[in-house]
Amino acid sequence: MSDRPTAPELLEAVWEFLSSEVLPTLDDQRLKFRTLVAMNALGIARRELEADEPGLGEDELSELARRIRAGDLPADAHAVLKTHVAAKLRVSNPQYLERYE
Amino acid sequence: MPWAAELEERLGQRVESMHLLAGGASKEAWAVDAEGGPLLVRRALGGVIHEATLSLAQEFQVLEAAAEAGVRVPKPVAYLGELGGREAFAMERVEGETIGRRIARNPPRGLETQLAEELAKIHAIPLERLPFLRGGDILERFHRELDSVGDPHPAIEYGLWWLREHRPEPLADVVTHGDFRIGNVVVSERGLEYLLDWEFAHLSDPREDLAWPIVRAWRFGADERRLGGVGELRPYLQRYAELTGLEVSEGELDWWEVLGNVKWATGCLTQCRRHLTGLDRSVEYAVLGRMAAEMEYELLNLIEQA
Repeated sequence: MSDRPTAPELLEAVWEFLSSEVLPTLDDQRLKFRTLVAMNALGIARRELEADEPGLGEDELSELARRIRAGDLPADAHAVLKTHVAAKLRVSNPQYLERYE
Repeated sequence: MPWAAELEERLGQRVESMHLLAGGASKEAWAVDAEGGPLLVRRALGGVIHEATLSLAQEFQVLEAAAEAGVRVPKPVAYLGELGGREAFAMERVEGETIGRRIARNPPRGLETQLAEELAKIHAIPLERLPFLRGGDILERFHRELDSVGDPHPAIEYGLWWLREHRPEPLADVVTHGDFRIGNVVVSERGLEYLLDWEFAHLSDPREDLAWPIVRAWRFGADERRLGGVGELRPYLQRYAELTGLEVSEGELDWWEVLGNVKWATGCLTQCRRHLTGLDRSVEYAVLGRMAAEMEYELLNLIEQA
């Protein structure tokens, strides 16, 4: 067990540093954009560390992909995929799901 | 720049200043102030988004053909050969808005019909004018590209399966832009000024271009306006039909909209691999790998409604 800050707390600290100390000093549009992208990446990593959804494992994903490619779809393929993708989105971009509400 | 002298020599003009611009995914874009006026120099980067990406020499020829056909494009100036070991060309540097979010927030009037007008001109370019453009089976292409990614993506596979099951009768191939959407157009208060980024031009069913701007990712948050976040489909398709004689219904575009989501999901994954393989390390490419899920969700949603 490591000392605090935890991994998500460290990511949050770097995010806050970029947001409050680096971003306001940037004039170059390209650097500004890339800094925002970097902050977004930190957010994804933090949410992934904090997520507790087990989801589909690599083997299950491979098997499902193989069956779909072969045209041998499980009856519940659509529902399973929707749950799987929604879980990925809660990590990568939780706001995106609100667009479907 | 170590290749500034090469650039001056090829242009035959003195270069006063140059700087790297924001944006651009598989190419560098340099703003160059030359004696003869403001130029934009497009220069190759390491990799490509899709396997069929044109070389810069070919892209320059497509730009010339589009200009001849009266398409609103920045004036092609010169193919430059290799600058610092990477090929490049120069075109007129134009002013105006290209940021999708800003255009979708305040779309100029008439943009829908202007988009249709440009597309009609592109689709009328004779195939023999650009003999190096390739077509081919579009679903096979995305199966191949998805395989090149390596990791399993069953949601994209599902999209491809649905597309195979519901494939429409094809229309005759035309010259397509290949990335025709908000984000690749320059807009002013007068409306559409220029069409950019011709690197994905290829031969295809005209509905591939027609439907690409309706993909949700290219509505830039204005989801309720199906055409690129800027307008409705009806006036767009009507104007296109008036100019080309080709009547395409809104419903016909559903299949192509699912395809568009497969295409951009796969594009995100292949771009991300440029970072992961070390070809082109960049945080931008890295996070694209996590964006593919947005198109996966959208295609599942579209298939549910179809």
